[in-house]
Amino acid sequence: MSEFKLAVQRFDPLTDAKPRLAEYTVPMREGMTVLDALLYARDYLDHSIALRFSCRQASCGSCGMKINGRPRLACYTQVEELGGEKVVAQPLDNFAIVKDLVTDLESFFTKHKQLMPYVLRSDAQELDHPTAEYLMKPEELKKVLQFTYCIKCGLCTSACPTVAMDVKFPGPQAMAQAYRYLMDERDEGGEKRLEALDTAHGVWRCHFAGSCSFVCPKGVDPALGIQLLRRHVLSGKAPRKQGEGAKVWSAPAGSTK
Amino acid sequence: MKESRLMLIQYATAVLALALVAAHLIMQGVILPYDTAISFNNILSIYQNWIYAGFLEALLVVVLVHGFNGLRIILHEWRQTAPWSRWVDLGTVAAVAVAVGYGTRTVILAVFGGVSG
Repeated sequence: MSEFKLAVQRFDPLTDAKPRLAEYTVPMREGMTVLDALLYARDYLDHSIALRFSCRQASCGSCGMKINGRPRLACYTQVEELGGEKVVAQPLDNFAIVKDLVTDLESFFTKHKQLMPYVLRSDAQELDHPTAEYLMKPEELKKVLQFTYCIKCGLCTSACPTVAMDVKFPGPQAMAQAYRYLMDERDEGGEKRLEALDTAHGVWRCHFAGSCSFVCPKGVDPALGIQLLRRHVLSGKAPRKQGEGAKVWSAPAGSTK
Repeated sequence: MKESRLMLIQYATAVLALALVAAHLIMQGVILPYDTAISFNNILSIYQNWIYAGFLEALLVVVLVHGFNGLRIILHEWRQTAPWSRWVDLGTVAAVAVAVGYGTRTVILAVFGGVSG
């Protein structure tokens, strides 16, 4: 049975002065993912390795980490595809480390919420107690479909050079979602979103490095979303104002028709 | 002023600066004799031409606004505290005003004969 070296960055901010790499020898098997390798190391070699994971199928975004220098999902990266005889797992850049490979995502989700990633309507009563199932037209959905694939893994934010410099910059994930809801024909909160983005630390601070799009495991192109957002911010015009959101809906809620 | 307006100014001055600097280099390197392009008397004679003096004043304003606004952006990215941001904005306006004022003074002096060979 062949083996490979797995180097894991170990760091506990409560006890360690600086991070170090701990090396483990892991038996290789066909189709083995980096997450499988990490779990092997944790289960059989060192129980103290801290990592976050859940679905194991690139759906939840929990196991984002830097693998051989690039942000990736551990469950979506096979050891074989990395080549070489050594796999290096480190926590994502641009996030505080909780322990080892576990990063603190609080600021990430705070910024996500600040740009209101949900449909805003002026008819609050209908929003809270819908009388029908509001659907998007297929042609409208196409405009934002790729952005709905975001699993909030944080890889794009980790790869973003502006996030590394500017702590107030919302980051590619939050802004791509802002675009997704700005273009949603049911949404009426465009003006609020554009205002939140048109700041000294907002949408203009993107340098269009494109690294966010490069590392996204779901094929989302946040850099494109940011550039498209800029067009709306520059014009100062939201696609829809209060009361102009789509009023089309399908069958009443609960109906099978 | 909204950041989008400032960025619009940044993009517009970038395009204008490209055109003005290109025209300036063509004038200095191709149309006018290159070997005397930066001689004192030659420059002074250029300033005596009102159209060219206006052109140089425009170049001065466009490049300074673009340059200092770019520096403002870099400084905003460098630190993000509220006092820092406020001082950066104020400092940028002051720096542009002083630099444009000083450059304009030179243009005016040259145009109206305050400078002589």
